[in-house]
Formats: sequence, C-alpha cells, structure tokens
Amino acid sequence: MTTSEDYVDAGEAIDQGNLSGKMPGGEIAPPVTAAVTYERILNARNEPHNWLTYYGAYDGQRYSPLDQINTENVKRLVPAWVFQAGTTGLIAGASTYSFEAAPIVVDGIMFLTGWDGWIWALDAKTGVEIWRYKHAVPFDVSLCCGNVNRGCAVAQGKVFFVTANARLIALDATNGKMVWAKTYGDVRAGESATVAPLIVKNMVIVGSSGGEFGVRGHLDAFDLESGEHQWRCYMVPKPGEPGSETWPADGEAWARGGANCWVTSTFDPETNLLYVGTGNPAPDFDGEVREGDNLYTDSIVAVDADSGQIRWHHQCTPHDLWDYDSIAENILFEKDGRKLLGHFDKNGYFYVVDRTDGELVSVTPFVDRITWGAVTRDGRVTAKLYPEKEGEPVHFYPGPAGAKEWTHASYSPKTEFFYVPVQDTGATATRRRREFKESIPYWGAGVQVDAEDMAGSISAFDGNGEEKWRWRNELPMCASTLATGGDLVFAGEATGEFNALDARSGELLWQFQCGSGHHSNPTTYTVEGRQYIAVPVGWGGWAEGFLPGMLGAGHGSALFVFALPEPA
Amino acid sequence: MTTAPERTDLLKELGLDVQNHATLGRVLGTGKIGRASEGSDGRMQATIRINEDELMWDPSILVMPHGGDIDLELVNDDKNTHCALLPSNGDRKFIWLVNHSRGRATLNLDGPGYYWYSSPTGNDEGRGLTGAIVVLGDAPPEARLDRPDQPQP
Repeated sequence: MTTSEDYVDAGEAIDQGNLSGKMPGGEIAPPVTAAVTYERILNARNEPHNWLTYYGAYDGQRYSPLDQINTENVKRLVPAWVFQAGTTGLIAGASTYSFEAAPIVVDGIMFLTGWDGWIWALDAKTGVEIWRYKHAVPFDVSLCCGNVNRGCAVAQGKVFFVTANARLIALDATNGKMVWAKTYGDVRAGESATVAPLIVKNMVIVGSSGGEFGVRGHLDAFDLESGEHQWRCYMVPKPGEPGSETWPADGEAWARGGANCWVTSTFDPETNLLYVGTGNPAPDFDGEVREGDNLYTDSIVAVDADSGQIRWHHQCTPHDLWDYDSIAENILFEKDGRKLLGHFDKNGYFYVVDRTDGELVSVTPFVDRITWGAVTRDGRVTAKLYPEKEGEPVHFYPGPAGAKEWTHASYSPKTEFFYVPVQDTGATATRRRREFKESIPYWGAGVQVDAEDMAGSISAFDGNGEEKWRWRNELPMCASTLATGGDLVFAGEATGEFNALDARSGELLWQFQCGSGHHSNPTTYTVEGRQYIAVPVGWGGWAEGFLPGMLGAGHGSALFVFALPEPA
Repeated sequence: MTTAPERTDLLKELGLDVQNHATLGRVLGTGKIGRASEGSDGRMQATIRINEDELMWDPSILVMPHGGDIDLELVNDDKNTHCALLPSNGDRKFIWLVNHSRGRATLNLDGPGYYWYSSPTGNDEGRGLTGAIVVLGDAPPEARLDRPDQPQP
C-alpha cells in the first residue's frame, strides 16, 4: 500500500512555453502597438516599413510601395530567417491544418497567427520568438474547411485574433496575456471562426464561419478597449426584413441560409462603408429547399461601419447551386476619377462595381473554362449546368473551390493591374437531399473535385477587365499574391515554389522551393532599412475542395522570410 | 454486433484492455469516465491517476459540467516516469510525473466540446496515455444565432 508520504512532489504544471529555450526577460515585446491608432491604419500607406492591417491598407490592394527588392536584384533574394511553428501532440483538424496567415509587422515586431488557437510575437529582424499564446480549441470543433486562421489585427496596445471555437480574443501586445475574450458564435450550431479581424475606428470587426453547417451568417463589431458588443449584421434577412422575399415564404430556409463573412472586409473612410463578401447559401447544392435568389448570399455587401446596416449589395450568383461564395476581397481603386471596387468571384467572373452606390460597371470572365452558366457584361445571370435531379451527376467548371478561392488578388497603383491567382478546376456534384440537423454538414450533394485535367495561372487584368499577361502553371494557384513598388508580384505555388514575377510582363524572375505548398498571404516590411518578404508556408486546409490531387502532400508549418544579402 | 454491456467482456476477451496482449500498448478509448466536482464558487476539481501497469489515464474521459477553471491533482502510481500535457487557455500546461509522484495543474477551458490531454514522452500517447476532457454547456445566449430552435441529431 502506498501512502501519500511516499509520493514525490511533482509540483505545479507550468506553461509549456517556458520550456522553449527563451532567456528570462526575453518574453516582453516593446510597446510598438500602443500608438497604433485608427488614424495610423487609415494612413498605413505612409509607413511602408510596417504592414499594419490584414491587406496592408484598408483598400485591400495587398500592395507595398517598398522597392528595395526590385526586378533588377530580386534574383539575389535569399532566406533571412525561418520560424518553425511545429506541433506537439494532437490538434483539432490535424489532417486539415494549414498556415494561412498574413504576418502583421509594427516597428520591428511581427504578430503571426497559426492553426488551432496559436499566435506568436516574433522579432521581425531575427525571427526569435518573443511570446506565444495558445487558446485551447476543442478537438471536436466543427471545421468545414480546415483548421486554419488568416491573421490578426493590432491597435492601441493590443493584438486581436479569433479562434476556431468562435472566440474573439484581445491580448496585451507586449506579453501575450489575455485582456478580454468574447464568444461570438455558437459551436453547437456549427459556427466557427477563421477571419482576420479588422480595426475600424474604435471597433474590431469580425465575421463568422460555418456556411456548410446551415447557420445564419453574420458580421459583428466589438469595442476594442472593452470588448463590448457594438452591432451584429445578419447576412440572411428574417421574414419581413428587406431581402426576405428572396427566400421561401414558408419554412425556415432563411434560418439555415449561410452567407457567412469569413474573409476580412475592406473599408472606405469616405463612404464609411465596409465592403463585405458573403458566402454560399446552405444547403450548397440543393436549391429546391431554398427557392429564390437567396439574398445576401454570394454578394458584395456594403455595410455602414457605425450602425452595421446594409446600404447596398450586388449579388454575383443568385440562387447559387455550385458553392460559389463571394467572400473574396473587394479591392478599392479609382479609374477616371470614379471610386470603384474590383472583385474576382469564385464563379469565374471579375466584377467592377461603383463603390459609392453599388452600380455594376463591368463583368468579365477571368478563367478559361466556365460551364456552370453565363454572366453578361450587364450582370444578367443564366444558369446552365447544375445538380438538379436527385442522384444524377453533373460536371461543371469552375468547381466549388472557384476560379479563385479565398486567397487574394493584389493591385498595383503603379501598373494599374490586378494580379489574380487562378484555379482552373472542375467538379462533379450529385444531388443527395438530406434533412437539416443542427451542427451536421448541410450540403445537399455528393461532390468530387477533379484531380486531373487542371491548370492555374497568375493573370494580370486592368480595370476594364482586359487581360494584360498570364503566367501559366500546371497546377491551380492557391495562395494570395503580393504586389510591390519594385514592380514585382510574389506568388506561391501549391508545390512549394515561391515566385517573383515581373509586374509588367509576368516574366518569372526568381524562385525558391519552400518545401511545402503555399496557401497563405505574403507580406513585406523593413527593419533598419532592410526590406523583407515574409510568407507562411504550410500546405493543407480544404485541399479536397481545391486541389484533391495534392491531398497527400506534406503539411509544413514554417514562416519563411527573405531579403537581399547584407553587404559584406 | 456488440452491445454496450458486452463491451467490457469483449475488450477482455480480445486482449484490448491491457498492454501487450492483442496490441502492444493500450488501445485509446478503453479507459474509465469520471466527473469533476464543483465548488460553491463554480470552480471545479478532479483527480487523474496513472495506475500501475494500466498505461491509461484514470479517468481517461473527464467531464466538466461547464467551462471555467479546474484544479487537477495528477498522480502517477505507475513504476515508470510519465508526464502530462494539458489544454488550457493561454498556454498548454506541462508537468513531469516521475514514478510515484503527485502534482497539480490549474486549467481554464471555455468549452463546450472535448479537449485532448496526454503524456508526450516516448510514445506514451500512442501506447495509451491519451485522454479527453469534455466540457458541457452551450455558447452564451448573446452569441447564439437569432433564429427559431432547429432540429438536432
């Protein structure tokens, strides 16, 4: 018989991060975000040494004027440092985790999110970890499309990010300690969160994930100091609300309608509008249970930033039967003095819209194969191929991952070109009706995405929708592009290559094999006058939906940071 | 077909309830289930043991009535050294558990759902020392969707 006196005292369990080789005192970051205000983010273009907000600036251009690395010297680009995130033990969605973040950099400090509730503060010059925070994510959390997170936001001394169990968390940016946390989704309903928050004025803006589980998508705003909820904007109207006439009058299809906002909005301070892309309707492929256009699914929605009220919308795919979310970024630009936005939709068309009132300016296809239907230049939609009869397979292009997935196009105000990562892949959907049950995937079809006969490209378009050049690839391009003042476009491949293209011609100028596929958002910054290009690398996520032929590829979990060699 | 009452007998018959019979180690999910106790202030408490030669957590499924803070007592009655890596908001909690040792861990989990815990040394995880902490409850009312009650499985 063992008595209590016989036991060795093992003490108190400690934070695992204390066993990471860090020197005592090295876990405190300088207070670089303390002075990051709305005004600074508004003028982010004036401090190109930083990458202050998800897209680099509110306009969503994913453009940096930095030009130290340029078309002449990019061939000398080499790794400056690598951060290996790694994993220990089991994680939720272990098979589908992917490194999708956009690194945020403020005055030499990088803030980076991973999968499964991870966020790190790193020295942006050396890659040394300063602090880490790990939120406990339930192993059984509903993940429609992978264990992923797209990044964080910073302001007024804090760093904000969401977790897969639908929490918005504010940390002290100097030490990674929690300041406040709010639950803004219901995991028992199948809601989750993957979006990079956006700071607008005194608010943190976030959207929900879970459209494949038949939820009701929403956008939320929280006070960045207190965490107090400011407003919620549902993207599927209740009966009696504007747009509800586009849903069946009887039943509860609206309550399960989808339209999640799982990608970060852009913002125009002059119109005071957030430009939000909304997700697919639910069920994805069975339209008979949701007759009508199904607003505001698959739409570009303009939301008043102060009130959370919808001001205007443009629906890209009414009564979607192909899983064509319109969650893609809405890039703000001006042409001939007109305030416009550009949007590359999953349905294969490039939309240009007047961002003051939503008037459609032009619609142009940006991928070679489009068979699901046709959209005329004035926006009229005609469906052609869709899963209509129970059990009858229907093949269409593009597949449900879209001609461009969530990953972002960029826009260079120097060249006035958009640079879009294109996926040219089809799929077969066979309608299989199922009853709705809360927290159970709600698709309405069996879907098999093509694993052969596919292509991809980085394609450059002007604001008129005219293609200017195309850099072709055998596989679809599944990572965001980055445009720079050095007339470069950076684009990662699914097979691990990280490429620099000439922004004016599309010529491949430099390439580096990163050892795992790209499905993230590269950013750029400078520290002490040296320009760096940072790219998270880690293949995964919803690979069965956009590139099933690479389901067996290694995952990886490294952040690569490149720079020109330092002078000897 | 196997019914629940037969499960224990069948595990024993097939040699799946101990080490190095049917399997090399201890198959996951063959352990016991326990409930955390709750104080008047809502703080929870439980004891988790590693019994001699069983190579599983006892309980291997620990159920918390709701999200919040829980104080664990961790006891290693095995004749081998193990450790524990436990989920908690902020960072995972780690403790070495040499043979015949006892330690403590305080966790914060904001549930609902289940979270894994394990002994990440050698291949303790693969050989049986992987367990789950289940947090009951719902999302707070303000976080739920504005819609009628929906059918559930």
